[in-house]
Amino acid sequence: MERLTRREMLRLTAGGIAAWTLGAPRWSWSAPASDPYAAARIDWRQLAGERIHILVTPAHYFTKFRAITPEFTRLTGIEVTFEVIPPREMREKAVLDLSARTGNYASHTADPMYLPLYAVNNWVEPLDLFLNDHKLTDRAWFDLEDIVPLWRRHNTVRGRLWGMPVEGEVTIHIYRKDVYDQLGLRPPETLDELRETARRAHAPARNLYGLALRGFRGAGQNMYIWPSLFRAYGGQWFDHAGRPTVNSEAGVRALEYYVSVLREFAPRGVENWNWPEIMEAFAAGTVVQYIDANSTASVIENPAKSKVAGKIGYQRWPKGPTGKRVTSIWNWAMPVNAALPARKKQATWLYIQWLASRPTQLRSATFKEAPDAVVRTGVNRMSIWRDPDYRRVIAFTPDYADVVLTSLREDTDADWRPRIPEWPEIGEVMAIAIQEALVGRKTPKQALDDANAELRRVLRR
Amino acid sequence: MSCATVTSLRALPRVAAMLVAVAVWVVPVLWVVATSLKPRTDIFTLPPRLWFTPTFEHYRVALGTADILRGLSNSALVATLTMLLTLLISIPAGYAYARLRFPYREPLFFYTLFTQMAPPVGFLIPFFLAFSRLRLLDTHAGIVLIYLSMSVPFAVWLMTTYFLDVPRELEEAALVDGCSRGRALVRVVLPQVYGGVAVTAVLSFINAWNEFIYASVLTGARVRMAPVAIFGFLTTEETLWGPFAATAVLIMGPVVVLALLAQRQIVRGLTLGAFR
Repeated sequence: MERLTRREMLRLTAGGIAAWTLGAPRWSWSAPASDPYAAARIDWRQLAGERIHILVTPAHYFTKFRAITPEFTRLTGIEVTFEVIPPREMREKAVLDLSARTGNYASHTADPMYLPLYAVNNWVEPLDLFLNDHKLTDRAWFDLEDIVPLWRRHNTVRGRLWGMPVEGEVTIHIYRKDVYDQLGLRPPETLDELRETARRAHAPARNLYGLALRGFRGAGQNMYIWPSLFRAYGGQWFDHAGRPTVNSEAGVRALEYYVSVLREFAPRGVENWNWPEIMEAFAAGTVVQYIDANSTASVIENPAKSKVAGKIGYQRWPKGPTGKRVTSIWNWAMPVNAALPARKKQATWLYIQWLASRPTQLRSATFKEAPDAVVRTGVNRMSIWRDPDYRRVIAFTPDYADVVLTSLREDTDADWRPRIPEWPEIGEVMAIAIQEALVGRKTPKQALDDANAELRRVLRR
Repeated sequence: MSCATVTSLRALPRVAAMLVAVAVWVVPVLWVVATSLKPRTDIFTLPPRLWFTPTFEHYRVALGTADILRGLSNSALVATLTMLLTLLISIPAGYAYARLRFPYREPLFFYTLFTQMAPPVGFLIPFFLAFSRLRLLDTHAGIVLIYLSMSVPFAVWLMTTYFLDVPRELEEAALVDGCSRGRALVRVVLPQVYGGVAVTAVLSFINAWNEFIYASVLTGARVRMAPVAIFGFLTTEETLWGPFAATAVLIMGPVVVLALLAQRQIVRGLTLGAFR
């Protein structure tokens, strides 16, 4: 039954690809609302009549999820409403709701770095409560092990899973293949080679800059990119006694690298650039390369939005001096709010299970909610990443899918960022230090010494 | 050199200074308007392109987004209600402070402004908790109450100072002629302070129309206000600057129209009374 369902899904996806490439204005097949779900040995309608309200961030994948959620309502009789608000405001609202135990939001798209904070306060329920409940979950059908292992590990605190990954990304090196070809450059294998390609391609007189990385201050901005450098240089966040060690030699060298490449080769004002600014500059053809989320491909490869579509190359992070490539670990994690009544918690779990399941992930990946809708590049299941049909849909270049899949498998590092309840404060302290070094207010050594002292204070509290 | 030329030459630095001051205010607004009309690939061109073929595509996208339309109508409803209720409360209250004698008048007047002395964000969490218990989160009534708590104290203070400037003799004559106090207020005193009423009305409308912090925390999917709805264009993959700017222009529009309509009264209101 499961094989047949899977094959059927693949066939439908292939049909979808055909429609998409032929420029069909709307998804041209009618979806099988509940077929693949009938294979799950649970009663999907056990909580019919419940209503849940979910807080999500504006993103194409949530637009797709929201667009197909009426199918969940038809399947289960559970009504789902959404509130859409950008990540920063969403975090504030979620933390306020959880800490005040008002139970307004059944679930939200959580930043996994906040899960230790949620867990230590028991603001959300550990998901094994639901995963191990045979009435609520068919483990064989759901196949938790198929969900990207490091994302699951990232969302695990004290041995328990607190948020289900529903979408994610890795950071990769994105470069202008045409410029590289013109200059006879090879994609860099190491960070030193990356600096060299930036130097050779840097031509500010022609409004073309060698490299851009996130410079904007924030735990999710410059502290989304710099930790990869820190770890690739061999940096450790803490010593064996749990004392912070960000000002180690490795740390200082990682920050010196970051500051020097950006000061020399990035456009002016990069200290205020976050990923949208970098991506826009790259799409406008003024930046040769950047390292950021693989999901940006769906925008920069769209000719209506980008002047460089079709001229782009992708590869994994260059290696640091330790020989390691370190990418980000990022996923949107969906928890179950602990302040809800029992039945609402169960209804929320049914929704999370449905959303994270293979049929929903596969179907939403290519769902076209609007004529110019993009494809999802952050599905949560390894089996979909290996699926030839899905790989064809995201073949921006012949090796794009492989670059992402290999990064997911080999370049992730569980200690990429410190996963402790104090993270929100640690992230901010580090973000300020990195930006201070970038704008030259402090030397990298000074900035990290000060940050390390501040982190000690934060951790002692 | 004629007298007139000398005068105009002398005025030159002053005119230049005024132009710079106006430019500081106008350029960002024009920038937003230009961005709302630029094709997407031209928005980030460096140096910025001044001549371009305008497109209304971003307005089409903005107005085609259900959240934006609902946001604008929610904001219009909430801001209008706030404005009307503010006037309804602040006119009689201001008049009472200006004319009537009652116990604790002075300390009460001082405490009217008390709530304005802390930054609004200080009340955010208490309001959130209270609203959560009272089931006022994400309701029109709730957010109007919050905006009233912000606009009424200031409006009462403003109206009081306007009423204090009206000569007592005017209404005393009306009272002697047999008018009740209420009638004297409406017929005789109020026409003297129309400028002040216009200033109070416009300020309370604009405050409610533009407010963001409370709107973002205390409202949700049901009563989403325009300044919060516009945030939907800051997506995780990209900032949709075109529709974002178009919505910003749509949000600015009513305020500009309102200010222009009430311009004469506002100028009169600002030059009369307390601000003289």
